[in-house]
Amino acid sequence: MPHLFAGSLFHRRLPVTAAIVCLCLFGLRIDRVAAGSLPQVELNANAAGPRAIENLTAQAISENYRHAWQNLSEALDSNSSHSLDLYFGGTARAQLGQALAEQERTGLRSRYLNQDHKLEAVFYAPEGDVMELHDTTQCEIQVLDGGKVIHDEQAVLHYVVLMTPAADRWVIRQLQAVHRF
Amino acid sequence: MAVICLAVIWPSNPCLAQTVELRVPTAVIAGSRATIATAGTGEATFYVIGPSHSVKRKVRLGQEIQLQPDEVRSAGRYLAILCLEVCQSADFYVTPGDAAGLSFLVHPSRVPVRQSESISGTVFPFDKFHNLLLAPVKVDFRLMAGDADLMSRSVTTQSGVAWFRTHSGKQAGSLQVVAVVKGLSVHRVVQQVASDPCDLRVRAQRTKKGISAETEPVRDCSGNPVPDGTIVSFSETDARGTSTVDAPIKQGVARAQMTASGPAVISAASGVVMGNELRLGAQP
Repeated sequence: MPHLFAGSLFHRRLPVTAAIVCLCLFGLRIDRVAAGSLPQVELNANAAGPRAIENLTAQAISENYRHAWQNLSEALDSNSSHSLDLYFGGTARAQLGQALAEQERTGLRSRYLNQDHKLEAVFYAPEGDVMELHDTTQCEIQVLDGGKVIHDEQAVLHYVVLMTPAADRWVIRQLQAVHRF
Repeated sequence: MAVICLAVIWPSNPCLAQTVELRVPTAVIAGSRATIATAGTGEATFYVIGPSHSVKRKVRLGQEIQLQPDEVRSAGRYLAILCLEVCQSADFYVTPGDAAGLSFLVHPSRVPVRQSESISGTVFPFDKFHNLLLAPVKVDFRLMAGDADLMSRSVTTQSGVAWFRTHSGKQAGSLQVVAVVKGLSVHRVVQQVASDPCDLRVRAQRTKKGISAETEPVRDCSGNPVPDGTIVSFSETDARGTSTVDAPIKQGVARAQMTASGPAVISAASGVVMGNELRLGAQP
């Protein structure tokens, strides 16, 4: 009887244990996905000029930039460009489209994980029709050939960014990595 | 696995022959050839991932790898990876070439004359591959109304941008706005229009139907004719109260017909400008 009782207890505890393990794994997975797909963006708008940046504009820039990078990382990971049209235009959109086509051609994929963007607005045009920002990004970059990771690094990258207002959002028109500002 | 580990932690291990080495250039101009040196023996897989281009090819170690101008057209970070049993990587940056195009934004397209700090222009210089030039570049701005120079200013770009802000001129008409970088010029046109009317003068006379009022030719304070279609409001005040007639300027003059038989005061206004007052006696 005791062993039956023990067995019964074990059987009653098994689903609970399995559920806890699953939850832990699921939690880790969520953490991983969240870290990979939701970039952190912090904007410093104090140094911008000649036009001052209004609070609502600063919020919109941060939010749109975050979505742009989220879409960009998803696009580079999946080699699918449809999500790029929302937050990229002009030269940036053309270059990224070409980059995806090249990745597809060579069988490569890139992952930008755990992104942390420190944005600094350095120029806001007198009429508010263009803004230049400097982005210092810390992230993990993985390059995959097929399913094999051929490169994995913790990188600090610097980007010069030009954004212009579109109908209901700010769009990245230039995204140019530089060695230093 | 152990062999790979030994190779990594003990450089003099004979297995070092299995490792690869690559040396990337320190500076590459967009659209020029680039050379990457490799060390080792055997055949490896070489990758380059750039802002708009990816390369994957087999290379023989110990030989130089040439990147063609088309493969490094976009300025930015390039990641070179060389894989044998393990992968080595190094990055390098491609910088923009000479200025080949200007993005020149000028505002507004129409501006009243004599407005303070009312015209602005912003220039971003780009190379022929649409890379933003971040090194300082001198931009010459010129504003010309007819043959007269209204402004001439040199501004050096900072972080890839140069801008100006200035007053509008005194005369209505086309204003040529020019930005020049190393012989490369871009033109924009701003239409300068008359400002608010200045010294609005009205005259009136009795007619059989009432009062006929008209302005003298309406001009701004610089003497430019105010555009046709600008509204002038005529007011007539008599014992019954005040009545107003809005009339557009036609060929420089606004006219209105008002019905009043008793003594009346006639006045006119356009925008924020008030004209003179006329007192007319009763109809005889």
